Amino acid sequence: MTKVEYWVKMPFGPIHPGLEEPEKFILTLDGERIVDVDVKLGYNLRGIQWIAFRRNYIQIMYLAERMCGICSFSHNHTYTRAVEEAGGIEVPERAEYIRVIIGELERIHSHLLNLGVLAHDIGYDTLLHLTWLAREKVMDTLEAIAGNRVNYSMVTIGGVRRDIDGKKRRIILDMIKYYREVFPGIEDAFLHDPTIEARFRDTAIISKRVAMEQGAVGPTGRGSGIRDDARWSERLGVYPDLGIKPVMPQDVTGERPRGDVFDRMAVRIGELWGSLELIENALDAMPDGKIKTFPKDNILVAKLKLLVDGEGIGRYEAPRGELVHYVRGKKGSDKPLRWKPREPTFPNLFAVAEGVKGDQVADFVVAVASIDPCLSCTDRVAVVQDGKKKILTEKDLLRESIRKTREINSNIKGDPTPVGSSCSR
Amino acid sequence: MDVVGELVYPTVGLLGLYAFVSLASLVWEGVDRKLVARMQRRIGPPILQPLYDFLKLSSKETIIPSTANFMFTAAPGLALATAIALLAYTPVGFTPILASKGDVMVFIYLLTLIGFFKILGAISSGNPYAKIGAAREATIMVSREPAMMLGIFAIMWRLGKLGVDKPFSMGVFYVHNIWEIGTPMSFVGAVILLYVFTVWLASEIEVGFFNIPDAEEEIAGGLLVEYSGRYLALLKLTNAMKAFISASLVVAIFFPWGISGYLNLTGLSANVVDLLFHTLKVFALLFFVESVFRAVTGRLKITQAVDFLWKNVFLASLVGSLLIAMEVIM
Repeated sequence: MTKVEYWVKMPFGPIHPGLEEPEKFILTLDGERIVDVDVKLGYNLRGIQWIAFRRNYIQIMYLAERMCGICSFSHNHTYTRAVEEAGGIEVPERAEYIRVIIGELERIHSHLLNLGVLAHDIGYDTLLHLTWLAREKVMDTLEAIAGNRVNYSMVTIGGVRRDIDGKKRRIILDMIKYYREVFPGIEDAFLHDPTIEARFRDTAIISKRVAMEQGAVGPTGRGSGIRDDARWSERLGVYPDLGIKPVMPQDVTGERPRGDVFDRMAVRIGELWGSLELIENALDAMPDGKIKTFPKDNILVAKLKLLVDGEGIGRYEAPRGELVHYVRGKKGSDKPLRWKPREPTFPNLFAVAEGVKGDQVADFVVAVASIDPCLSCTDRVAVVQDGKKKILTEKDLLRESIRKTREINSNIKGDPTPVGSSCSR
Repeated sequence: MDVVGELVYPTVGLLGLYAFVSLASLVWEGVDRKLVARMQRRIGPPILQPLYDFLKLSSKETIIPSTANFMFTAAPGLALATAIALLAYTPVGFTPILASKGDVMVFIYLLTLIGFFKILGAISSGNPYAKIGAAREATIMVSREPAMMLGIFAIMWRLGKLGVDKPFSMGVFYVHNIWEIGTPMSFVGAVILLYVFTVWLASEIEVGFFNIPDAEEEIAGGLLVEYSGRYLALLKLTNAMKAFISASLVVAIFFPWGISGYLNLTGLSANVVDLLFHTLKVFALLFFVESVFRAVTGRLKITQAVDFLWKNVFLASLVGSLLIAMEVIM
């Protein structure tokens, strides 16, 4: 007798209590088993790159910061690095140390948030409240340093905006002391709880091969056994002096990496400790000196107009993975010709969509949360059909629109062939 | 026929019981939410919040999806009616109002019927999430009930051997209790069965490990996803009453002692005092099974829950029942 399978297609999102941001997946289900996942993006597209066409270098910093609430520092920082590379601007050493400190504080707050979300997705609300209570401390610290809990505005092109003086230093040391007491409890709860073990172990396994193919980065890639961390492999800024090394799951669990949700979570827990250490080292090693190359923003605008000629690429390990910003500028213009961020969630999302196949519906929301998706960063134009990604060029879009017009009204006359190489905007 | 004795008194008693239990179960839900909130270092809602929710939902607009059929609107009412009927067979500190020979069958039947109506309403809504929730509810239902049934039949049969008028009636527990059997083996069996019934209670009210059919983050509320307004109010009340009733069964089996005997009360006042004391015991039991359990666990996958219920709980029930029945069989 042949086995008859009834496959059902179920929409998961765009609005769903298990998802933090609007994103849509179409699950093909055989009972509770997931047969196929179709990723639909674009529900959070705000046209940020288009807005950036009318902004100058300084204004884009604010725009980049507001792409996403959690990784606001990362975007700003990476964009700044790209412009600095394009303009050949030197950053004072003290500023680099302050960037490290803010970046690691942001990493702590992002990872604690994600751990809480993971616990919430399996209905373990006590752990959610435990981690988010701990997260309050780092938010308060960030507020004390930068004046804001979310959009810190600490970085500027050629340095940082605010210094970390003795008082702020004491606040950070207080925070580190608090976390040295709190983290063992959180680590114990996440690594040794039977419910967590039952739900996260062997769930949504992204094998090393799939992770390589899809280009998974950050904790997702490291959880699958790819030893890569932009801070370490790029020898970024002063990170090598502070003893940075990528946190692998075996460092935390003591087992071979399997690429499941548990390993990704373990990497995040390891990075919490790593970040504390980096902050401590940075506070100790921080030299005196000035914090920005150009004292005033109007001087900066004038200098950038002259300095930036050509392209620059900024890379940074955001809490979710490697973030890349590309900036191309022209001498004499105060705005970039092209600015393109590439977010870690994009490859990770397709990696996890591949990894979750064969698991149950119950695993899906945990799997999506385990890559810590940041859809407000990610959304851009991409069409995914039948599991294959297809980038639509201008010509394709034109052809599609002509087809649609013909379909609606076949009586329309006229030559649809575009004039020149492409149609005018 | 004694109309007053057989018709009026039971009806009035049932209505009074319904009023009390619906209030008490909603208050318990508020207490539970408050306690869990304090365990999670939150402030939590006011204790009467479920009551306010019920009143508010009753007055809200009720949306019926265009894909729904008649059973969608009928199911909540039927589920609540079943729960009210079930009260007449529930041991609440005294022999149930309609106690008769073998009423345990009716009890189990009606308890399962509540879940059945919920499933029926969910699959009639036409929502894919509700259908997944219904499938999960059905799966977990057939996995959790056998352990309970085996346990309860074994206990009743064993207690019947000690001499009662109506064997297999819920009133048995107030004549003899499980700790009175007396042999060391039966004591061990009783402890094992206490574990079985505690897990069964948790899976019946679907908290902690077993919050699978209503999993909010996975399937957006599951069975309840399309319900709104007064239908949701009815289903919420049904769920709260079901928790009270299921806990009442466990309390009656394992902790049936009343205090009216010590106070030298008889008649109605004895029943009222026993009911209040019983309610306290139910709250205490639910504190461990519901509040603490859901504060320290997350939910399992449906396959893991089914595995757990058959391989662990059902086996424990088998062992416990054998230990209790041992010296009669041999």
